[in-house]
Amino acid sequence: MNQPSPSAELRAASEGLAATFPALMVAATRLAASVAMGDHGRRRAGVGEDFWQYRQALPGDDLATVDWRRSGRSDTAYVREREWESAHTVAIWPDSAQSMDYSGKRGVSSKGERAALLAMALSVLLAKAGERIAFPATIAAIPRSGKRQLQRIAQAISTINQTRPEYGSVPEFGDLKAARSVFLSDFMGTDDQIFPPLSAIAERAGTGCLVHILDDTEETFPFDGRVIFESMGGGLSFETHRAKGLREEYREQLAKRCAALEEFARQAGWQYLKHHTSQSPRAALLWLHMVIGGQR
Amino acid sequence: MTSLVFLTPWILLGLLALPLLWWLLRATPPSPKHLRFPGVGLLMGLKDIEKMPDKTPIWLLLLRILAIAAAIVAFANPVLNPETRAEGDGPLLILMDGGWASAPDWSQRIGEAERLLEQAARAGRPTVFASLTQPLPQGMPYRDARDWLSVLRALEPQAWAPDRQAAVDWLADKQDFETYWLTDGLQYGEADLANALGAKGPLRVIGTAKQPLALRPLKLDAGQLSVTVIGASPIAETVTLTAYGTAPNGIEVAFASITGTLPAGQSEVTLTFQMPLELTNRVTRVTLQSQTSAGAVALADDGSRRRKVALVGAGIQEGPQLVAPMHYLRKALEPSAALIEGSLSDVLLGAPDVIVLSDVGKLSIPSARKLLEWVEKGGLLVRFAGPRLAAEGAGPLVGDPLLPVRLRAGGRTLGGAMAWNTPKHLSPFPESSPFFGLPIPADIEVFAQVVAQPAPDLAARTLAALEDGTPLVTQRQKGDGRVVLFHVTANAEWSTLPLSGLFVQMLERLSISANPAGPEAVLEGRMWMPDRTLDGFGRLVDAELVAPVSGERLAKPVGLDARPGLYSSGDLSVAINVLQADSTLAALDLPIGINIELLGQTNEQSLKPWLLMAALALFMLDVLGTLWVTGRLFNRGVAQAAGLILMVALIPTPEANANEDRIILTANDTVLAYVITGDPTVDNISAAGLLGLSAVLTERTSVEPIAPIGVNIETDDLSLLPMLYWPITPDQAALSEGAVQRLNRYLATGGMIVFDTRDAQLGSGFGVLTANGKALQRLTASLDIPPLAPIPAGHVLTRAFYLLEDFPGRWSGPDVWVEVSAGGTNLNDGVTPIVIGANDWAAAWAVTDSGQPMFPVGRGLTGERQRELARRFGVNLVMYVLTGNYKSDQVHVPAFLERLGE
Repeated sequence: MNQPSPSAELRAASEGLAATFPALMVAATRLAASVAMGDHGRRRAGVGEDFWQYRQALPGDDLATVDWRRSGRSDTAYVREREWESAHTVAIWPDSAQSMDYSGKRGVSSKGERAALLAMALSVLLAKAGERIAFPATIAAIPRSGKRQLQRIAQAISTINQTRPEYGSVPEFGDLKAARSVFLSDFMGTDDQIFPPLSAIAERAGTGCLVHILDDTEETFPFDGRVIFESMGGGLSFETHRAKGLREEYREQLAKRCAALEEFARQAGWQYLKHHTSQSPRAALLWLHMVIGGQR
Repeated sequence: MTSLVFLTPWILLGLLALPLLWWLLRATPPSPKHLRFPGVGLLMGLKDIEKMPDKTPIWLLLLRILAIAAAIVAFANPVLNPETRAEGDGPLLILMDGGWASAPDWSQRIGEAERLLEQAARAGRPTVFASLTQPLPQGMPYRDARDWLSVLRALEPQAWAPDRQAAVDWLADKQDFETYWLTDGLQYGEADLANALGAKGPLRVIGTAKQPLALRPLKLDAGQLSVTVIGASPIAETVTLTAYGTAPNGIEVAFASITGTLPAGQSEVTLTFQMPLELTNRVTRVTLQSQTSAGAVALADDGSRRRKVALVGAGIQEGPQLVAPMHYLRKALEPSAALIEGSLSDVLLGAPDVIVLSDVGKLSIPSARKLLEWVEKGGLLVRFAGPRLAAEGAGPLVGDPLLPVRLRAGGRTLGGAMAWNTPKHLSPFPESSPFFGLPIPADIEVFAQVVAQPAPDLAARTLAALEDGTPLVTQRQKGDGRVVLFHVTANAEWSTLPLSGLFVQMLERLSISANPAGPEAVLEGRMWMPDRTLDGFGRLVDAELVAPVSGERLAKPVGLDARPGLYSSGDLSVAINVLQADSTLAALDLPIGINIELLGQTNEQSLKPWLLMAALALFMLDVLGTLWVTGRLFNRGVAQAAGLILMVALIPTPEANANEDRIILTANDTVLAYVITGDPTVDNISAAGLLGLSAVLTERTSVEPIAPIGVNIETDDLSLLPMLYWPITPDQAALSEGAVQRLNRYLATGGMIVFDTRDAQLGSGFGVLTANGKALQRLTASLDIPPLAPIPAGHVLTRAFYLLEDFPGRWSGPDVWVEVSAGGTNLNDGVTPIVIGANDWAAAWAVTDSGQPMFPVGRGLTGERQRELARRFGVNLVMYVLTGNYKSDQVHVPAFLERLGE
């Protein structure tokens, strides 16, 4: 047999993507819509952008910027002006390491799925607001806005990287100058994988927020008996004779990690949110929207 | 004696591997669980606080070793009390004793013989099967063993002893063979069958550990019924005897029971019933409670009845008492009868069986009328002649009803100094006479007598005559009774008859006295017709064979040609019992080296299933234990499964309180009940039928019964059940004493039983003709059942809820019978305690689980109409039993009239 041609591979991959795109996009759009509506009230048909003022249309204004509804009530044309004239760049990093595949219970989405959903929904919201979005270390690494960027983001999120690391390390931002950075991860890697890159980013960029996504079982540690714990990729393993005996210590360790993250956020002027996959994604998105939107 | 044998012992070698297993299991810790968990990074560097042993805990190890050991031992096929009956080859003879002594464990014997035949058939051995109570075959008809199964299944135990001598003779010239002999363990006569069989080849004797017991014929001992239990048991036996008799309403009931002990090593014990004479005389049979065999039944006849005899003389007599007629009669009757003396009117009040009038001439008209009434009701009046009778009995042209013949005046005198003729002797008794066969002593002479008027029927009325043909004893039927006249006096004045033994024998033959001389005297010289015969189980059945049997044969031990039972000859009746007055039982003599093997495989017990069960249980425990050790026991799924298993395994069987629960159940709700017959098909139909009826009741009436229950009449409490539906099957077991009592109490206290023989399609309805009809008769024989009649028009059952004219079930058959309503005297306020029908109502009512009728009734719409009527009858029945005669109250008459007028 011949090797499958590159184009065939591409096509197969794109079909796989196409299968997930709409689902993710639909879910993200729906989530985003719900948040926007929650934020602005129902009477406004538009989504997500802050109204600033109406002014009379001047020659040179793009026709598309004319607010015809307002203009229809009087003899002159009006242009709606928005609050933000210039777009910010928002960098979003949904962790896609193997550890994010974990789900403690059937029926609860994995951490990775949750991170992807939140990232996508946030992107949708931001795109609507005209912000430029960047997903570092992916095909959407260059900050852009608009629908094409959303598609690129969706593709980036949906692409399953075969050589994913066990635990996600915060990526280098390089030249990227983001006004806001959003990190969606379980932050289960070693301290070295997390804090030095974060510090580097915090030094260069503006504010950010850390969304610490955890599974319930990671919090409660409901295990007992003789167990060999293995990391999702199998790279790490730890054997215990009585898992129950480790529960308190484990929870201490986890609390320490959370505390360290929170402390980092406080010092850097960032925001920190612990999000459980058993909770509704809406709360997290609302929080993100408000934080990014600068309302806090 | 218990012994344990392994059928495949080499498997036990596996036990040697146990230490190895021990080591292996011990070295293998319970395997850990692998879990994917991202938080493992945080766990790194943590230390276990408690260390779990990575070796299997010792108790788990023991559990496993035990389980494996149990399994190994189980597969080695351990058998407790093994049967050592090996299969042989060559020709085989299977002999069964088949007599009354085999009856108590008959089914076991049949089962064993069947097993032996099957075994022989498997081994392909030519086989002969024979029962020693049946005629033995000609030669040795070897056949395939399976061919004998049909013979075996038709075999019934017989009521006589096996003829071992015949078997010995039969075997004398036969070729060698192996023998299985199913014996009853008794020795009969001298026949040494065991040696005769042993000479032919290997012999295996199979029997029971329990030696049979038997009863000798009943005896009257100082007016009390005494029964001798005989046995050959090496251990002491407790015996309970029950005397049954006929109650005034014609139903056989138990009169009394006594319990005694047959001491070890003794062959007999005599027990005496202490009963009033009236009861003693009514006893029809005595049975030994623990055994159902013909030998354990002693039938009663006239011989065991002590007659009440009234002696009435001719007023006050002066003169020598010792030669007075009354003295002779007293002496003759005293040993065997209860005597009362007095004036005629006095003794009539005592309801005697027999009244003897010795030389009483004229009776006053009222006494004569009373006496005649008494005779016509079945009394026996025996009169002796004498001077007064000779003087007064003569004359009237119309015969005196209290004399069998008309008498000539004065009588005659034979012999004497002035006479030509000499005293006369007796001529032989005619064949029609009850005295026929009695030997006549030569020295009996008659000097004087009263003489009968010649009449056309004189010869027929003559029981004994003189040489010249003059009647000496005459008899005449009068109503149900009879009048007998001895034409001589009861003392030696007119004849020497009262001085001879013949006098006593003649009185005996007249059933005046119980026969102290034993039955032979009665039997001798007559032909006897069997009325009812005993079968091997001791049940009285109507005689199939009606050929008369000679008395001489009956005096010998019973057999095929002279079955035990009740025989009659003319007015006489005798009971022929299996055993005779001098019978004893002896244990079977077996040659040294031959032992009786025990019947049945009841003792052989395979331990394999139990051990396998134990191993399985241990393994399940091991599973739970392992889960517990590895901390997986309380995972939800596992815990649920384990809980389920435990629940199934540990659900207690609610046997103990079943009866109590049932009482609570029946007290809380109305519940219809049926009698469990033991036939699962019939029982299912009953249950489904009553379920259907309950549904109909719930739907149409305010009676809302819960699901019907089956009732075991031997054990269950009946007191709270409104009615019992009792389908009859041919093979229902007879009722025990206790069950009869409880059923009678149930009927007397407001219960109702609906008997259904279910055989109306056979045409005749319930009757003697069908098997079910017979079974009904048998089952209800001892129940207290009032007189019955077909349901009359206007009976409450026809209008308790619906207006009905007939009462079809699955069949639309003959009448349904209920208690005769006899104006106000009925029990339970006129509600019949018994309904008997043959229409198979349950089948018409029966519904399946989905509520569909279970059986077709009739055809098409007509059939559905019939089913509807059957349901209506059911509703009426329940309404009737619950509301009693409410609907017969006059207050409803206007409503009925209105309804009928529409």
